[in-house]
This record gives sequence, C-alpha cells and structure tokens, in this order.
Amino acid sequence: MLPIPNQNTRTVEDINAKIKKGDAQVLTAEEMKRLVESSGIEVAFKEVDVVTTGTFGAMCSSGAIINTGHSDPPIKIDEAWINDVPICHPGAAVDLYIGATAMSETTPFEYGGGHVIEDLVNGKEVDLKATAYGTDCYPRTQLRTQLTKDDLNQFYLLNFRNCYQRYNCAINSRDETIYTYMGKLLPHRRNATFSGAGELNPLMNDPDFETIGIGTRIFLGGAQGYVIGEGTQHEAKSQNGTLMVRGDAKKMNSEFLKGAGLTKYGTSLYVGIGIPIPILNLGLAKKTAIRDEAIYTSVVDYGVPRRDRPKLQKVNYKELKSGSIVVEDKRVRVSSLSSLKVARKIACKLKEWIQNSEFSLTLPVERLPLDSVFKPMRETEGTPFVAGVMHAAVTCRESESIRDIASRIVTRSVNHIIVVDNQGKIAGIVTSWDITRAMAEDVKALADVVSRRVVTTKPDEPLEIASKRMAKHNINALPVIDNEGKVLGIVTSEDVSKLLGR
Amino acid sequence: MVRILLRFAEDLVEQPITSQIILELKVPINIITAHVNSKGGEILAEIPDNTLDKTVKAFRDKGVDVSIPKLVEVDDEECFSCGTCVSLCPVEAILVDKDGSVIFNREKCVGSTCSVCVDACPTRAIKSVKQLGTVAKAAAKRRA
Repeated sequence: MLPIPNQNTRTVEDINAKIKKGDAQVLTAEEMKRLVESSGIEVAFKEVDVVTTGTFGAMCSSGAIINTGHSDPPIKIDEAWINDVPICHPGAAVDLYIGATAMSETTPFEYGGGHVIEDLVNGKEVDLKATAYGTDCYPRTQLRTQLTKDDLNQFYLLNFRNCYQRYNCAINSRDETIYTYMGKLLPHRRNATFSGAGELNPLMNDPDFETIGIGTRIFLGGAQGYVIGEGTQHEAKSQNGTLMVRGDAKKMNSEFLKGAGLTKYGTSLYVGIGIPIPILNLGLAKKTAIRDEAIYTSVVDYGVPRRDRPKLQKVNYKELKSGSIVVEDKRVRVSSLSSLKVARKIACKLKEWIQNSEFSLTLPVERLPLDSVFKPMRETEGTPFVAGVMHAAVTCRESESIRDIASRIVTRSVNHIIVVDNQGKIAGIVTSWDITRAMAEDVKALADVVSRRVVTTKPDEPLEIASKRMAKHNINALPVIDNEGKVLGIVTSEDVSKLLGR
Repeated sequence: MVRILLRFAEDLVEQPITSQIILELKVPINIITAHVNSKGGEILAEIPDNTLDKTVKAFRDKGVDVSIPKLVEVDDEECFSCGTCVSLCPVEAILVDKDGSVIFNREKCVGSTCSVCVDACPTRAIKSVKQLGTVAKAAAKRRA
C-alpha cells in the first residue's frame, strides 16, 4: 500500500522525484507573490514545489582561485600579476587567488580582478607574470606566460561575502559629489542609490535559513554552484544575511559575471546568484510571498566619512524601485546599482533548469548561524578627530570696520577671522592677507573682502579627511560648524601638523 | 522640434550670430545648453522641424559648424541595465522600463554638455560624444 502523503509538508526527495519526471511546479518569486495574492497561501502551497529567486549586483568580496600547473623548472610564486592586476598567492607554489577589487597597476579603477575573471570566463588569453625568491625545490625566479581557462587545472569562483539580504540606500549631504561603492552621489542629496533585488532576493525569501545552508546547490554566474557557508559579516537576525559561495568558473557565463569599475572607488565583480526555495511547508509558501513594501532599509548619509553613518530614515524596496523617495519633504530620485532585469533573468533561467530536469535540489548539510553578530573592529590605537584638536575661533560681524579686524588679528594673534551672523552662524571668513590687501588698496567695507564660500569641517570628521580638504582647496584653516552652520571653533593646518607630525 | 548642435570656432565666439539669425529668419531658437572654452563654443539648440533647412543654411553661411547631435552612445553589449545612471540624469532622460531595462531618451539628453552619467557607469558602456574637440577641425575646414 502506498503511504498517505502528508498534506502539510513535502520533502526535497518528493520534489526531486517530480523534477526527474519533469513535472515539478516551479514559479519565480515574483510569480509566487502574484499567485498568493490571487489565490491565497493554501492554494499556492498546494500547487507550487519550488520558488526561484535571483540577484545580480556588485559583490566586492568575490574572487577566483586558480591553479596554473607547474612550470619547468618549477616556481614557488611570490608575487604575481595577471594583465597587470596584482594577484594573491595565499597558498603553495602555483595556487593564486584573483581578488575582484585588486586593480590593474597600469589602468587602475578601469580594469581589475573582476575583469580578469570575466576575461577568463570568456575564454580570452590573459598574461601572467610572476616572480619568486627561488628555493632548492622551486629554483625559478621569473616567469611570464599566456593562459586561457582551458590551461588551468582549477578555476573556481570562491566568494566570501555575496548575496546581501538587503542593503543601505545611499545619499550624500555634503556640498560636493562623492564617489563610493554605492556609486556616484551628487551633493545636497540630489540623488540616492540602492542595491538588491528586494522581493526577488534569495535570502529575503528564506529569511530564517530553513532551506539555504551549507551544501545548497545554487545558480552561480550562469552555472551550478554551492553555498559553502555564511558569508563574512553575516547577521541573520537583523536581516543582514550573507553567503559564502563556490562554483566552477570554467562553466560560467559572463552575462551573469561581469567585471566593473566604479570611478574613484575601484573595481568589483557583478555576480549573479539564484537560489531555489523548496516549498516544504505552508510557512515557506508564506515567506516566499513577501513583497517589496515589507522589506525596509535605511537611507544612509555617505557624506559622513565614519563607520556609523547617520541613518536619515527608513524606506522600503517598493519606494526604492519606484524611482523616487521623499527625504525630509524633498523628492529625491533614486536608482539601483544592481540589475533587476538580470536578477529576473536568473530566476527565470533557474526555473527553466529545474523544469527541464537539469537542476535538482539539495537539503543543507548544516544550517547557517542565526545568532551571529557583525561586530565593529577593536581598535587599540584610535585615529584623531577634528573635535580633538579644534580650538575657539576668533569671530567678527560683517558690520565691523577693517581697522578693528586688523587690530583683532594682532591682539589675538590669528590669521583667520570667521564672520558670523546674529545667530552665530557662519557667514564668511577673512584672513590676515585679505585685511592686509584691503588696507593697502584702501578698501572701506569688510563686506568687500569677505570670502563667502567657506570650506568647513565638523567635529566628528576624521582629522585626516579635514587635512586633505585643506590641501585640496589650498587653505590653512577650516571653521568647525554644526549641522545648522553654527560656528563651534576652528582647526588649522598647524594643529594638524602638530598632531600628525607632518 | 529638432535639436541641432552649433559649433563656433574661436574667432566666431564673440559675434552675435545666433541673435542675428533669430532676427533675420524669425525662428524661435531655444538654447538648451551653451558652453565656451579656449577652443571655441558650442550651443545645443532646439528649433521647429519645418525651419531646419533654412536655419542650418543660415548658420553654415556664417561659418558655424552645424550637426544633428548624437548625444550619448550606449554600448548595448556592455549595458546590463543596473540603473546607476538613472537618478543622476538632471533632465530625466534615462528611464527604467517595466521589465527593468534602462532606456535612454535621446530627445531629452543634453549629451556631452552634461555627461554626468558617463563616469558613473560600472561597465563604461556610456560614451559621450566629444564635441568641442571637433571645433578646431571645423574651423580648419572653413578656412580651407
């Protein structure tokens, strides 16, 4: 007699049997959500065996391990470059790790490890240069050769942090454009960027890591790969899960694995990941029904160069995907760094593989941690901040006479006087040079010599950054202001050199 | 409306050519962007379709190099529709289609006079057509 199937659960074995026969019911995560909305969870659970997910974003903590085989005479590689990109040599003689963010020494920011991986995947020939100190067993000290992926013994994508469950939305409050790993951010919050596929993201559809764990077979870069553990910085309980993954790069496809250059940040690798979620129980049917409006992230000010950047507000992925968000009553255009179009393609491709019996599901051999914490660095030697060296500023009003300012410069023995308004807010700056020139040229009004576009700093800014700003603008002091523009003090290049010893 | 790109060689920059043509032809020329540097100047302008021929002729008669601007070039092989460029565009000429494809609206794009999207593209798929560089060439052709 046949066993009576349990109405409330199904197993991975059940699903694999259906996949083998070619009659597994597979939906992409987006299709699943529509089905749940139209027919309810019960029906969706009954009808659907597998939900496929996808994401395609810049994943900097990626790379590939290659083994080149031994040269004759053999070499124990000490330093290596492929297409001028420095390559790590973490292991024995000819095992090399191509890090996605390592940049070409001749064309940095434009070409890097991510591009080397893409070129190899595309079957292109790459140029390997290596040096070594030479040993009795590995006498060779210099090597140069051209290689393609077919010449390599192993070429595995081996990424230690991929597939973030969700990510910050980045914005810039500074008065200058900044270039970040979240892309180009215009000044005065004129644009915002985000990353991640939201409701299509693999981990968002299995947030408790019921089915995604060590050994889960996945779509990786256009081929089949595996989850080999939680990614670094993984923190499931705050919905900041990440994955460590591995896959045979020789079988991958550059449509789903692309080198990238982010101006003034560096190079990276766009990685395509798709994960099948077996609908083993009603709970998983419900979880895979999650919508963009239920997935929240924070709008974070990347203009503040600190670890704990200010979080301005919460925002959900529905708003992010709509093209604009409202930040403090102002409409800000927002766009994605990751490709939703390719993420959808990945979910569809994975669905196709399963339907065509080319891909079977696995149960994790070990669950991923649900309680790990992403800690900040323990720093035994801190870095100085503006607050630590700033001192009281000598100020004046614009209505004062040039002669009064001149005598204040002398009595207080300073070179910079900050012009403030009635509320103590910054209105300009005058230097001893401005005053000297004003007196020489017989300028009457202080207003005619005040510099109005003042380059400033804030107390919580690292001194190194304030110092760079002074150098960039070729000035010797920065007024220190608060968020409202109130003058708190001043920091001079003299203060910086005293502390940093330069 | 149709867009034309006017390139003025160094020696033409100071002459009020555009104003003269507006007055002579009574064509409503809408200046979208204008730039001047040491090599000359360029104006991106919009004119009614039915005035195209006579306006172009008038500018050319005064020695101005006129072209129909090709504003940005997008390499479709390299662009995978991440969308990074979309929120940067000041004239909202880059849009995301329903299926997630990034679409460039060349009618709206102001091209090399802006180029804010160019260095933001992670695969360098966007190239702005360098326009000022050709001013010198245009001037040389005119003198010949």
